[in-house]
Amino acid sequence: MKNNFSFLILFLLVQQVIAQKDSVVSKEIVSLKYYNENASMQYLVLENKLKTGKKTEPLRNKTFQLFLDSIAAPNKIGSVTTDNDGKAKSFLPPALKGSWEASAQHKFLAVAPGKEDETAAELEIIKAKINIDTLAGAEARSIVVQVMKYENTEWTPASDVEMKVGVQRLGGVLSAGDEETYTTDSSGAVTVELTKDSLPGDQQGNIVLVAKVEDNDLYGSLFVEKAVPWGIAIKSGNNFFDQRKLWATNFRTPLWLLFMAYSIVIGVWGTIIYLVLQIIRIKKIGTASS
Amino acid sequence: MENNNTSRREFLLTGLLGSVAATGCGDDSSPFTPKDEVALTGEKVKLLSVNGEVIEVDKAYLKPVPDIPHLPNSEERKGMPGKKFVMVIDLSRCKNLKKCQEACNHMHYVNPGQSWVKVYSMQDAEESAPYWQPTICLHCDEPPCVKVCPVDATFKRQDGIVSIDSDRCVGCRFCMAACPYSTRVFNWETPAMPVEVASQHYSCESSVPQKKGTVGKCDFCPDMVRKGQLPHCVSACPNGVFMFGDMNEDSVTNGAETFRFSELIKDKAGYRLMEDLGTKPSVYYLPPVNRNFPYESGLENQDPADQHHH
Amino acid sequence: MLVENATSLSEQITQDLLPKKFGRRGMIWTAVLILFCIIGAYAYYRQLRYGLVVTNMRDYASWGIYISNFIFFVAISLVGSLITAIFRLTDVKWATPLTRIAEIIAVSAIVFASLIIIVDMGRPERLLNLFVYGRIQSPIMWDVIVIGTYFIISLLLLYFPLLPDLKILIHFKEKSGKALNKLYRFQGSFWRGTAEQFKITNRSIRILCIAIVPVAFSIHTVTSWLFATTYRPGWDSTNFGAYFISGAFLVGAGGVVVAMYVFRKYYVLEKYITVKHFEHMGKVVVMLALLYLYFNINEYMIPAFKMKKTEQAHLSGLFTGEFAILFWFAIVAGMIVPIIIMLFKRGRKPLPMFIAGIMIVVGAWFKRYLIVTPTLLHPILPMQDVPASYHHYFPSWEEWAIAIGSLSGALLIITFFARIYPIIPIQETITEKLEESEEMTHGKAYQRESEYYEKPVLTPKEQAHEK
Repeated sequence: MKNNFSFLILFLLVQQVIAQKDSVVSKEIVSLKYYNENASMQYLVLENKLKTGKKTEPLRNKTFQLFLDSIAAPNKIGSVTTDNDGKAKSFLPPALKGSWEASAQHKFLAVAPGKEDETAAELEIIKAKINIDTLAGAEARSIVVQVMKYENTEWTPASDVEMKVGVQRLGGVLSAGDEETYTTDSSGAVTVELTKDSLPGDQQGNIVLVAKVEDNDLYGSLFVEKAVPWGIAIKSGNNFFDQRKLWATNFRTPLWLLFMAYSIVIGVWGTIIYLVLQIIRIKKIGTASS
Repeated sequence: MENNNTSRREFLLTGLLGSVAATGCGDDSSPFTPKDEVALTGEKVKLLSVNGEVIEVDKAYLKPVPDIPHLPNSEERKGMPGKKFVMVIDLSRCKNLKKCQEACNHMHYVNPGQSWVKVYSMQDAEESAPYWQPTICLHCDEPPCVKVCPVDATFKRQDGIVSIDSDRCVGCRFCMAACPYSTRVFNWETPAMPVEVASQHYSCESSVPQKKGTVGKCDFCPDMVRKGQLPHCVSACPNGVFMFGDMNEDSVTNGAETFRFSELIKDKAGYRLMEDLGTKPSVYYLPPVNRNFPYESGLENQDPADQHHH
Repeated sequence: MLVENATSLSEQITQDLLPKKFGRRGMIWTAVLILFCIIGAYAYYRQLRYGLVVTNMRDYASWGIYISNFIFFVAISLVGSLITAIFRLTDVKWATPLTRIAEIIAVSAIVFASLIIIVDMGRPERLLNLFVYGRIQSPIMWDVIVIGTYFIISLLLLYFPLLPDLKILIHFKEKSGKALNKLYRFQGSFWRGTAEQFKITNRSIRILCIAIVPVAFSIHTVTSWLFATTYRPGWDSTNFGAYFISGAFLVGAGGVVVAMYVFRKYYVLEKYITVKHFEHMGKVVVMLALLYLYFNINEYMIPAFKMKKTEQAHLSGLFTGEFAILFWFAIVAGMIVPIIIMLFKRGRKPLPMFIAGIMIVVGAWFKRYLIVTPTLLHPILPMQDVPASYHHYFPSWEEWAIAIGSLSGALLIITFFARIYPIIPIQETITEKLEESEEMTHGKAYQRESEYYEKPVLTPKEQAHEK
């Protein structure tokens, strides 16, 4: 009787512990992002993640179907599967040209197969384009960026769009002026003076000017680039790498070391070979005189 | 400037942890992936442009991050021409979160217990302030480890990276003795990793899979750089401590902020570790001035056994 | 002296010095050594299978007793150049019975130095990479070259003086048995003892003695450079080459003293390895020990005077910290006590010398460990962010088994060598003994055309007497 009772208490306690563990909920997140590059290339990136407490893990090999404006067969953009980072990319097929051109505003929908009635993710965008131009004045060089949005049937200026304007560098954009970001005014334009001078460019002295809108609520992500000869040409001299150094490969040994090593080895091993020849000579004498 | 820093930090922190947050949308835009690096399939795919036109691109670009081809060992030993990689670590931002360590260990399948990024609690003098110092391989320009390797298993590339070829290393560990920064680790046993990773093609640029009986260390993630992405530690740090770039371009970035390297070092008095040894490291540190977090906020993440070490 | 006495003397010497079969003690000794080698081999099999994780070396203490054993072996092998070469070149006659002991210690030590370094490699199957992809800038390559060269030269220095003895060994075939006799024939049946052969041999030995001195100095200097080319506290010293060489001479000489005593006792060689030999060796060893003590004072006291930040932890660890007991043991038992013993004439008798020799060798083994691992456990940047086991080092049973196995293996080579070849050169001993008795009879050293003729050349007076 007593045993049964204590067992019951134990059982209930264990249940409590298990229940408490379950209270840390995992949330699956599906996100859609729209990208527009150089006013022509456009694509969608879908990301699937599992968030448990503070940790986020990518979900691999998950398939989703993408639709334009509504979940219907003629509006299907395509089927995508997430990669090792939990991301998938999709272009818009040429078949949707009609629907795309019909309206300024569009909605992208992602649906997991088997759960067609449930929208896993959706994204609304207004068609927009961005272009970049340069003004080379007497004292200063400026970059002019214009953002336009498609309203009814024409392109109108898009104001209050925050963006990065600068020079493309490895892994990021070096801001042309002193601010981190710039916002378009009512005419949808922003002018940035390139305050950084003597920027290293490629071998011809070209640098790539870039304007980048990151994750705008209305327009998605926009990107445009333009190469200009405003940089300093750097010649890729590799003399540092080709020199004879102690840390270089065997084929670029410092000459003094080669000389020392070989002269010592040749000297000593020459003597050894001479001595081995002496043994052979002794042997010859011995076998000859018998 | 102060406000921008705060908003940037918030943006980063409230964003999702992992590579997406710090680089924003960057890793998908095509100029990021240098066109000559992509492994083109030859097959084309048609897509609808913004203006309603139909354009064609190579199928390789259908992936969020296009594949790069396998490089022969001789190319991996030469490195990327015209580049000189450099890293700047801002000690005023480090909180000992060790996200850098987690990401690097995870992506390279480093054996548990070992790390290629170690975050030290440093205190230069008894009266000076303690600070957190993330330490990686410094990819020295006069690398003592490369000088002593008998088989050329560790070598200096023209892009400044000091790399290890695990297919050649004989495991003598002379490089480990020679490195004054104690940054190299040794695979005393076969590191634990999933079967599909262990059987994948080994590359000096990915440093995966690590092999038993060979030496391992931070490699500046050249495989990521070729894909147009930043090294894992740089992307993983929520506080933007790590900044990576090309000295020939005179710029470094932590994904969210990009700086002109020469200006940054001059303004903030950047320095290198153990400069007097003459190793000429490629990693600069910015002193812990105007710190974002007090030193004590990092103590919660420190191994209790390390508390008294300084 | 008449020819008959000369013959009986040389017969006596030959009988005394021919290699003898193992007695019971010899069998037990050999069996124990073989057992240690087998245990060591099993431990190595485990290491090959699981990786170096079976040792207790970790990322900080990345070099342990394999490497300290390596430098210990390289150190001992220098004795060949000291006793054999330097003493021969300086015409130190009393050292002649010891030359072969010294050479075989040198050869077996260098063989096991090479083996233990292969054991320490993480990827021993890639050994050939050293030759296919070798970088001449690396001190390891220099070490490979000089050790290989020293090995060949030591073998030659073992072989040339062995040729006259081979003839004697071939002659006494009933004592050696068929198998050994075949070996002797293969190695030296062409030796006739003619004047010309002797001339070539003598000249070759002289060349070898001259050549081996710089090579011997090189092997231990280059080995010391494995440490001195790094920035670490305790290793970043300009003194390392000379410091290591003086230590090598000391431990080698100590090893020879131990071997002298053992062979003397076991093979009953009191007439050849006399009390005088211990007296002489004692003086040599005490000088070497004082020299090594001098270098130690330079190596430890002067950095302690400055106490640079990077060296602080290392030096305090050695003087008063976790390595203090080992450190003071190595200094006191390895240097100071033997010096005190050998400073007195009574200390230079066989038994005290033997004890001093053992103390020197054991002290030297621990001293080599103190050179290698404590430095690694005091890195310049703090030891943080690593598992607790990385902060200390005590060898695992596999490491002990392999280290002891390697020492046993070296002793085994010496044991087998003494079983197969005369451990004291027969021919040279005969020649010298005859010389001595000639001096005693005639009161002056008589001139000979060659040092090593089997039959003594008679003086004109004797020739006249004969006729």
